[in-house]
Amino acid sequence: MAAADLGMLNLEEAPPVSGSRSVDCFEKLEQIGEGTYGQVYMAKENKTGEIVALKKIRMDNEREGFPITAIREIKILKKLHHENVIHLKEIVTSPDTTRMDLLKACGFVTIFVDDNKYKGGIYMVFEYMDHDLTGLADRPGLRFTVPQIKCYMKQLLTGLHYCHVNQVLHRDIKGSNLLIDNEGNLKLADFGLARSYSNDHTGNLTNRVITLWYRPPELLLGATKYGPAIDMWSVGCIFAELLNGKPILPGKTESEQLNKIYELCGSPDENNWPGVSKMPWFNQMKSTRPLKRRVREMYRHFDRHALELLEKMLVLDPSQRISAKDALDAEYFWTDPLPCDPKSLPTYESSHEFQTKKKRQQMRHNEEAAKKQKLQHPPQQHSRLPPQQHGGGQSHAAAHWPSGPNHPMNNAPPPPLPAGGPSGHHYYQKQRGGGAPGPNRYPPSGNQSGGYNNQSRGGSYSSGGPYPPQGRGGAPYGAGPRGPSSGYGVGPPNYSQGGGGQYGGSGRGQNPSGSARNQQYGWQP
Amino acid sequence: MASNFWTSTHYKELKDPEEINVVHPLDAQRGISVEDFRLIKLHMSNYISKLAQHIKIRQRVVATAVTYMRRVYTRKSLTEYEPRLVAPTCLYLACKAEESVVHAKILVFYIRKLYADEKFRYEIKDILEMEMKILEALEFYLVVFHPYRSLPEYLQDSGLNDTSMTHLTWGLVNDTYRMDLILTHPPYLITLACIYIASVYKEKDIKTWFEELSVDMNIVKNIAMEILDFYENHRMFTEERVHAAFNKLATSP
Repeated sequence: MAAADLGMLNLEEAPPVSGSRSVDCFEKLEQIGEGTYGQVYMAKENKTGEIVALKKIRMDNEREGFPITAIREIKILKKLHHENVIHLKEIVTSPDTTRMDLLKACGFVTIFVDDNKYKGGIYMVFEYMDHDLTGLADRPGLRFTVPQIKCYMKQLLTGLHYCHVNQVLHRDIKGSNLLIDNEGNLKLADFGLARSYSNDHTGNLTNRVITLWYRPPELLLGATKYGPAIDMWSVGCIFAELLNGKPILPGKTESEQLNKIYELCGSPDENNWPGVSKMPWFNQMKSTRPLKRRVREMYRHFDRHALELLEKMLVLDPSQRISAKDALDAEYFWTDPLPCDPKSLPTYESSHEFQTKKKRQQMRHNEEAAKKQKLQHPPQQHSRLPPQQHGGGQSHAAAHWPSGPNHPMNNAPPPPLPAGGPSGHHYYQKQRGGGAPGPNRYPPSGNQSGGYNNQSRGGSYSSGGPYPPQGRGGAPYGAGPRGPSSGYGVGPPNYSQGGGGQYGGSGRGQNPSGSARNQQYGWQP
Repeated sequence: MASNFWTSTHYKELKDPEEINVVHPLDAQRGISVEDFRLIKLHMSNYISKLAQHIKIRQRVVATAVTYMRRVYTRKSLTEYEPRLVAPTCLYLACKAEESVVHAKILVFYIRKLYADEKFRYEIKDILEMEMKILEALEFYLVVFHPYRSLPEYLQDSGLNDTSMTHLTWGLVNDTYRMDLILTHPPYLITLACIYIASVYKEKDIKTWFEELSVDMNIVKNIAMEILDFYENHRMFTEERVHAAFNKLATSP
C-alpha cells in the first residue's frame, strides 16, 4: 500500500446519530430505483426540505436476520468520509419494521402482506445525486468533452484512492455506481459488495464479485486473494468506455469475458504474468492459441496520454497494474486540455424530475404498442428481434418510438447497420432489457471515429436515428432492477434471490452466472 | 493503518465510568444495584466467551460482541433487553460485522447445549428479532476498535515481544472485556495498561520506553489499577450473587 497522503486517511468514525429516526421524517417523492429486491426513493426531509435518496434494506427471504451485505455497507460507509464517496447521512427505520420484517424473514408473513401497501423497512439515507455516469453517458445528444472525461476520471480515481488507503475494496466499480450531481461532482456509491481488507489478510475472498464486463482477469481465473488492483481494472474498463463510446468488454459468460480480455490484452503467460499458470482455473480458461496484446492497435485513435494510462490500467498481471495513486500522477491529467473544474460542467436535467414520469408513461404506452406490433407481425419477423428492427429504417423506427420532448432529433444520418445486426440486437433486448437507459448511449456525435463496432453492442440503428426515450427492454422502469440514476445500489440484501441483474446495475453488464453465484457469496469471507 | 485513536470519534464517544454505572430506572425498580448490573454484564461477557469457545469463534469477534452488549446496556434496560438473549445475539451480530459468519441455527444449537434452563433456550426467530432491536439500540454504530490491534506493534517496539510476554499481555487484554474499559478508555491506552501490568509482573524495566511515548502515564496507571482491582475482587463474583441478581430481575416490581 502506498503511503497515504495527509488528509487522505480517515481518522474519524461517524459519530452515532442520536437515536434512529423514523422514516416518517421523510416524504417519499418518487421511486428512482426498483427491483425485485429493493427500492431507492427520492425523498424530502420534512423539516429541512432537503432532498435525499432513501435506499431500503429489504429483509424478506432473509434467513440470517439483518443481511451481512448491509452490515458491510454500513460499517464501511460510516468509516469513509470523502467528497468522492457517497455520504451515508443516517439510517432510519419505520416504526413497526422490526416485527413485520422479522416475521417475514421467518417466513410467517409472505402471502397476506402486500409489499406495496406495506411501508415498513430499514432505510439508508444518502445525499441525493442527480445522475449516474451510465445514465448521463446514455443521454441522447450528450457528448462528454475531453476535460469533462478527465474531470470525472480524476474524481473517480481520487475517491477510489481514498477507499484503498482506508483498506476498502469497492468490488463493483461500474458506470451505474458512479453518481454525479449537477455540480459535476462524482461519487462512488453502492458499497454493497465492498469489503475491508488488510494486506496481511490470510482469509480468502470470494472471486464472484464485480459486474462481469468490469471484472479483472485474476478474478475470472479464480483468485481468492486479491487487492485494490481489481478495482483498477474496472476503472480501466470505464475509462476506455468513456473514450470509446461503448463498453469495451461485453462478455456474456465468464469464459467469453476472459476470451474478450485475451483478445484485447493478449493471452496471459508466465512472461507477462508470473504465477498465472498456478491460478485455480488457468487450465480450463486458457486461450486456445497465443494472442498478442492489441490495446494500442484497437484504441490508436485515443490521444497519446490517454492510451498510455489505459495501457497501464488494463494490465493482466494485477501486481503490475497501476494504482489509483499513480494513475492520478499520470501525464494524462497534467497535460492540456486539463481536467475541468467540476463546477464548470454543464448541468443536466435530472433523471428523476417530472419529465421522467411523462417518459415513463410514454414508455408503457410504447411498450404496449410494441407488443401489438410484435403480435401483428410474428411470422415475418424473427421472433426475437426487437420491434425497431422491423422495416429496418429510421423513419419506421421513428414512427414507433416518438422521441420525447427531452430527446431532440438528431439529424445526422444513421450509421450503417452492422452486418451481424439482428443477433446483436437481440442480445441486448433480451438480456439487458432491465433498467438500461436506452439503446442510444453515446450518441453518434461522440466518437464517430471511435471504431464503432456495433456488432457486439447492437445499438447502432438507434444511435443515428431519433432518440427514443424508451429503454432497450421497452419497460425499463417496471421491470428493470433500477431506474435511471440507480447507483445507490439496491443490491439484494442477501444474495439468495435469483435472477439477472443482481447488482442492480441499470441492466448493464448483467451477471450471467445468475442465482448460483448469489447464493454463494453472501456468506463467504 | 486506517485508524488513529488519538483523533477518532471513538475517542469522543467514550464515556465516564459514572455514566456507565447508571442503573436504568426500570431495572432500579426491581432492586438492581450498580453492583448487580456489573455482575450481570460480567456474567454475560463470560457467557459470550464460553459460547464462542464452543462454536470456535475467534477472540476478536468475542471482544466485539461484548462491546456491543455493553454499549446496548448504556442505553437500554436489562428488564426490556433480556441479557440471556442479548448476549448470544450480540455474538451473532458481531460474527457478521467481523466477517466470521455463524449461522443462526448453529448458535441456537449451542445455546441449547449450554443453557439448561428451558426458559432461555432461544430459537432462531428470537435471535433475529433481538438482532434488529440491538441494531437500533446501537444506532447501527458497529465499528469497534480493539486494544489487540496495537498490541503486537507496542510489544515489538518496547522489545518485549517474547512469547511469554505476548501471551500474558494478550490474556490481560482479553480480561479487560469483563469490565467496561472498552467503553471508557481509548483502546491503545488499555493496551498500554496491560503491557504495563505485564512488565511489572515479569519484572521487565521498560520505564524509559513508556516515558518516550507521548502518553499520559497517569491514565495508563489508572487503567492498570482498575484492572488490578478487578482481579482482586474477582473472587467475590460468585455464582450465587449472579443468581441473586438475576432473581431480582425476574421479579416484577
